[in-house]
Amino acid sequence: MKFRYAMVCSSNQNRSMESHALLKKEGFDVSSYGTGQHVKLPGPALREPNVYDFGTPYKFMFDQLLRKDPQLYRRNGVLPMLKRNLGVKSAPQRWQENAADGSFDVVLTFEEKVFDMVIEDLHNRNHVFMKPVLVINLEVKDNHEEAAVGARLALLLCQELEATEAWEESIDDIITNFEREHRRKLSYSISYY
Amino acid sequence: MAAPPPREQALALLAAANNHGDLAVKLSSLKQAKDILLAAEPFQAAELFPFLVDLQSSPESLVRKTLIDVIEEIGLKALEHFSILMPVLLTLLKDENATVVKQSILSGTSIFCSVLEELSLQFHRRGIVEMWLEELWTWMVKFKDAVIDILFEAAPLGIKLLTVKFLEIHILLFTSDRNDSERSTVEAISRGGRGFNISWLAVDHPVLDTATLTLDANRSLGILLDLLQSASNLPGLLTISIVNSLAAIARRRPAHYSPILSALLEFDSSFEMAKGGHIASIQYSIRTAFLGFLRCTHPAILESRDMLLKSLRGMNAGDAADQVLRQVEKMMRSNERASRDARLSKDEQLSDHLPASLDHGRKRSLPSDNGDPSYNKDIGVKRVRYGSNDPAAPSVEKNDPGQDDMNGVSKIPLLDSNLTPVEQMIAMIGALIAEGERGVESLEILISNIHPDLLADIVITNMRHLPKNPPLTRPLASDRQGEPSGPSQSIVSTGSTISMEIPDLTAQVPVSSSSLIGSSPSDMSASNNLPFDSKRDPRRDPRRLDPRRMVASVGMPPAPSTEDNSNATQSGAIQHHVDSPSSFIKPLSPPVILSSESITVPLMPKSEAGLTTLASLPTSYVDSLDAKVEVKEEESREIVLNEEEKGALEVPSFTTVEGEQDSVAQTSSDFTMVDEVYSPPSLEADEHSPAIPDMEAAEEASAELPVLPSYIDLTEEQQRIVGALAIERIFDSYENLQGPGGKQIRMALLARLVARVDANNDAILAMQKHVTLDYHHQKGHELVMHVLFHLYSLMISGSEESSPLAAVAYENFLMGVAKSLLENLPATDKSFSRLLGEVPLLTDSVMKLLDDLCCEKYLGKDTSDGDRVTQGLGAVWSLILGRPLNRQACLDIALKCAVHPEDDIRAKAIRLVARKLYVLDYISENIEQFATRMFLSAVDERVSDVDLSQSGVTEQRIEREVGSQETSISGSQVSEPGVSEMDSMKGANMDTQNDSAATLAHAQQHVSLFFALCPKKPSLVRIIFDNYARSPKAIKQAVHRQIPVLIGAFGSSYSELLQMISDPPQGSENLLTQVIHVLSEGTSPPDLVATVKHLYETKLKDATILIPILSSFSKNEVLPIFPQLVNLPLDKFQTALAHILQGSAHTGPALTPAEVMVAIHDIIPERDHLPLKKITDACSVCFEQRTVFTQQVMARALNQMVDQTPVPLLFMRTVIQTTDAFPALVDFVMELLSKLVSRQVWRMPKLWVGFLKCVAQTQPHSFRVLLQLPSPQLESTLNKYPQLRGPLANYASQPSVRNSLSRSTLVLLSPVNESHLQQSHLTPSSHAPDPSSSLHGAMPS
Repeated sequence: MKFRYAMVCSSNQNRSMESHALLKKEGFDVSSYGTGQHVKLPGPALREPNVYDFGTPYKFMFDQLLRKDPQLYRRNGVLPMLKRNLGVKSAPQRWQENAADGSFDVVLTFEEKVFDMVIEDLHNRNHVFMKPVLVINLEVKDNHEEAAVGARLALLLCQELEATEAWEESIDDIITNFEREHRRKLSYSISYY
Repeated sequence: MAAPPPREQALALLAAANNHGDLAVKLSSLKQAKDILLAAEPFQAAELFPFLVDLQSSPESLVRKTLIDVIEEIGLKALEHFSILMPVLLTLLKDENATVVKQSILSGTSIFCSVLEELSLQFHRRGIVEMWLEELWTWMVKFKDAVIDILFEAAPLGIKLLTVKFLEIHILLFTSDRNDSERSTVEAISRGGRGFNISWLAVDHPVLDTATLTLDANRSLGILLDLLQSASNLPGLLTISIVNSLAAIARRRPAHYSPILSALLEFDSSFEMAKGGHIASIQYSIRTAFLGFLRCTHPAILESRDMLLKSLRGMNAGDAADQVLRQVEKMMRSNERASRDARLSKDEQLSDHLPASLDHGRKRSLPSDNGDPSYNKDIGVKRVRYGSNDPAAPSVEKNDPGQDDMNGVSKIPLLDSNLTPVEQMIAMIGALIAEGERGVESLEILISNIHPDLLADIVITNMRHLPKNPPLTRPLASDRQGEPSGPSQSIVSTGSTISMEIPDLTAQVPVSSSSLIGSSPSDMSASNNLPFDSKRDPRRDPRRLDPRRMVASVGMPPAPSTEDNSNATQSGAIQHHVDSPSSFIKPLSPPVILSSESITVPLMPKSEAGLTTLASLPTSYVDSLDAKVEVKEEESREIVLNEEEKGALEVPSFTTVEGEQDSVAQTSSDFTMVDEVYSPPSLEADEHSPAIPDMEAAEEASAELPVLPSYIDLTEEQQRIVGALAIERIFDSYENLQGPGGKQIRMALLARLVARVDANNDAILAMQKHVTLDYHHQKGHELVMHVLFHLYSLMISGSEESSPLAAVAYENFLMGVAKSLLENLPATDKSFSRLLGEVPLLTDSVMKLLDDLCCEKYLGKDTSDGDRVTQGLGAVWSLILGRPLNRQACLDIALKCAVHPEDDIRAKAIRLVARKLYVLDYISENIEQFATRMFLSAVDERVSDVDLSQSGVTEQRIEREVGSQETSISGSQVSEPGVSEMDSMKGANMDTQNDSAATLAHAQQHVSLFFALCPKKPSLVRIIFDNYARSPKAIKQAVHRQIPVLIGAFGSSYSELLQMISDPPQGSENLLTQVIHVLSEGTSPPDLVATVKHLYETKLKDATILIPILSSFSKNEVLPIFPQLVNLPLDKFQTALAHILQGSAHTGPALTPAEVMVAIHDIIPERDHLPLKKITDACSVCFEQRTVFTQQVMARALNQMVDQTPVPLLFMRTVIQTTDAFPALVDFVMELLSKLVSRQVWRMPKLWVGFLKCVAQTQPHSFRVLLQLPSPQLESTLNKYPQLRGPLANYASQPSVRNSLSRSTLVLLSPVNESHLQQSHLTPSSHAPDPSSSLHGAMPS
């Protein structure tokens, strides 16, 4: 595994964590982040989400929601998801505060908005190392089923990138082929560390 | 001096790095050597440099790469001696290994920056540049050229990426970062070595010539732009990185913005040509670049905002663009909040030392601000930054909007204080102003970042406290003529005065127009936020002084103002209304003032009267106002002034004051709006005399002055009226406005006004109407969106008291616009759909409207117009696609329409649901469930009044069953028999006409949707089959009507159907037959034939199903099943017969008509288990088709049969029928009879009867045959048919015949038997007609 990967969605709960878990299992050097202001989980109603700060341990959320309404959160899959997450890492991390985590070679985002934010954030950082970072957006809907599908696609994509000599040469082909093969729209951009 | 040991050590290590066999050892040796070199004195280390240089030819790329690393590290420390190592760097730039090259570029770049920095610093400190540095610089130039060359060589993309990045850095370094839009200081601080910028350079620098370097940077930019133009030949990755770099350059160095923007725009439009890479990503990079520009608030970039928005909309990124705009606004608010906190903490100390507030203000001002005016002028101006996109702030704020979380949980605005953003903003600005001169600079930066929306908010909020008396400014401005303030400051103040003054000032102060432009708006709002400041601590506000001061300086007659003060309670607002514009206009058109003043007088005593006059007032001054607007439009940025005016006009409409400030507001109500506008001048004046004492003096003075203009509360009624007038006026000017900039502000203002005024107000109604009339051209849509978004934001972010109001206003406005769109625009117009698609929130009432529209319940002008339904459904569709939150509701509407009793609506809705919606995977399941439920409920007779609105996932309740059962029972009874195969059709006929029609329509209504879905999902067909058997007749009927369409829709992909056919559920035979029939229309596909045959052979012994495919059967296939076909009901047999005779195009008919005839006769009732009657019927059917079963056919068939053994049972019957049907065949028949005679027909009892009958009927032709019979048979014949005897005897008596007859025959015919003949002649009828008792059915028909 020659690259460092980052999986980014908005809350670092579902999509990014699903991929994180999968890639980690496959032996990738992977981290995951959210770009949102807060971590939000579905609540009893659409307008009443559970809001946490980044850095709040998954375990804490799990315990709290378990107390609140175990039935509801089990049914909507939040509890199982949190359980999965706490097996991967301890707490959701925020992309914008990850400077200390070092540079990544490939960043995978799962939503256009998140993609924009990651790019804008990278733009605002100082490109001291002039180290290119490939940012790819793979649109994945924010639900459990799609996240699982998205994670598998992410894995495939990362495996293809790993297989290249230098991704710079083949990225156009990889993206185009991937799109064709999986009928997904991708877009990528490049920034620097 | 203790060099030797380390030196030896280093030498040994370097040697090892060069020669050792193990790569790991080489690398670690090299690193150790580096440590030693770093620890050594530079000149000592330099001695070892040649050994380092040797390593460049190391065969291991890893060693070479590490070498560069080492060189960089050492080089940065011993820059003086670096020239020795430079060749290595240059050589390795051309290395064959990509990693080595990349490392060379990286290290070279970092050294490049260090050298530049050193160059400028050295000269700065010592006034000279040393030789070595000069030499190093020439190396650097070589390096730069070498790197740029790489771009044009064939190199790996990874390297080219870095060269592009290098070019970007190069351009950034050598473009002045004055007026930098982003973080020049941040760069300087955090970038370490890369803090250099060309603006550091002294003009007379001996080595670095600014002009040359700038030229160089421009050349580099040219290279990038050229590359972009030739992007079609470049790999996508490179194109993207070029676009990104250009965007970064444009954002950081606005000087390059316009060429880059035009290049990007051009690239965007010619972009389809590019074929090098992943197009979507390239386009996305442009989009990102444009969005990035939008984030920037530098004036140069702001100017192109409209263009950017347009292009972004062109690439479907309008939403993202709007979002960015909101983010920028939000970002500003967060800044405010931060400073407000600081301000709050500071407030307590404020009474002692105003400058205490400096600290937070300085956060935003630059470190160089030390209060020295000249320094300020020099560096401060240089460092003024417009788009302070504080890198921290955006990261905090920008991602808030729509952080839709899991499953569409929408964001919730998290406001942690009662203050609205606007108030926070005002507080912050107030704080900055309180700092006096030192705050101005920060203020400028802040305000130049304020989005028009927010600015409008600020202005309006500020207008809360209007003074009554109009202070005049002209004199003040002239007061200031002599002020020795710095250029930017004086311009700043000009911005807030009337545009007329600007020429003077610009003449006075030589400042470029750009800085004028930049600074004027900022100061505008600087003035705006003063009131807030005053609210917090009213006694402290310097502007308290202003009214009096102005009055004094203008020499305005005090009478009006005192009068105002004494009388004006209610009418004050009107007065503002009138006065403030008049004061503006004064310098332009004095007469107006007169008129307005004269009006104010009558207003005083009675507010009611005043209000009415007011309505007529506007004409006069609006005109002058317009004139003024035009004047101002000439100055591009003066628009902000207009905004002020607008603000002035609408002040009275303000009603709510957020909680905590209320009491303060009351006391601080003594500021005129105009006062606020013109307060900066006074502030400016204050700046030069110490501000604090001044204000304190003012405080004291104020205590003694009783006649301060007081604040006027308007009644709600007045607020409404005045607000409406304001809307009218602004809207008028909005419509007539051509320039791009003003619209934004007008929109913002209108939005806020609408929020204040009751939505049913006439003015708003008129506006809605107007907006819709030119919805497209005049950007009515944009305005509506603006208003709605504003209302929405109030709704969700407002305090508890205002949000319900806003919600009502929102709802009313949205409904109003939606309705008027419907009323005023043709049904084909897409605006309605667009409106619903883009508004921030769809309320229930709008959904209801949509629902009504779709169901034709909407009482528009043209209710009967089906196009409206189409329009409604179109809107529903786009909402389902575009608004996940409303998806379910819209889907409900669509589904409801899909089972609508009205055929037309239903057909449209079904088309939508089946074609457009069902393919969407996120709702297909819902649709399917609904359709299935409808179908099943119809089957179960639950349809009568099924709860249609409940289309959710929840299961349909069965309660209603009971009620509807009644109606259905009669129907099902009729169809009960079930023996008749076509029961459903017949049943319908039996039913009373009305009833059946009703139920059929009813059934259609509920099953149509389901049928429409079937082609999309063939597996649904099974549900139809499964439920067919138990369906009531009406449903069956409906099903049969639908099936042909359905099958047609299946087209060629009917494998599911085949599967279905191969295993049909019990009771579905009729349906099955129909399906097969439809399927095999035209030609029967082989697999279908096979399937049906198989079914027939295995499960379903009903030959009916075979009928449709008979035409493709061969003769051998038809013959075995022929008896079964004959056994079918007559009508079905007829069809089958037609199919058989028709045959397929390829094989021809399976049987010729003659063969059919034969086949029918070959059936033996006992053997084939069918009644003889069936066979005779079949024959009759054939005879009926005379065109098919012609006499030739019959002749052939009979000819064939007569030779068969045994002769078919019905042969004689057919012969008789044939002779009846075709008299011309009589001779042929005689031959047949002769043959039969020779075959001793009398031995075949059943035929014999027929034979005789035939003979009897065909006399006299049959005489010859009769005479061939042996005597006993002839005798029995004559006994049976005595009437034959005479004629036959006559015939036999002919000489020619007689000779050939036998004796016995002659005897028989002799007259001896005459009596017998006579006798029987009397009663022929009793014998003749009744052979049927012995001969089954042989009676000719």
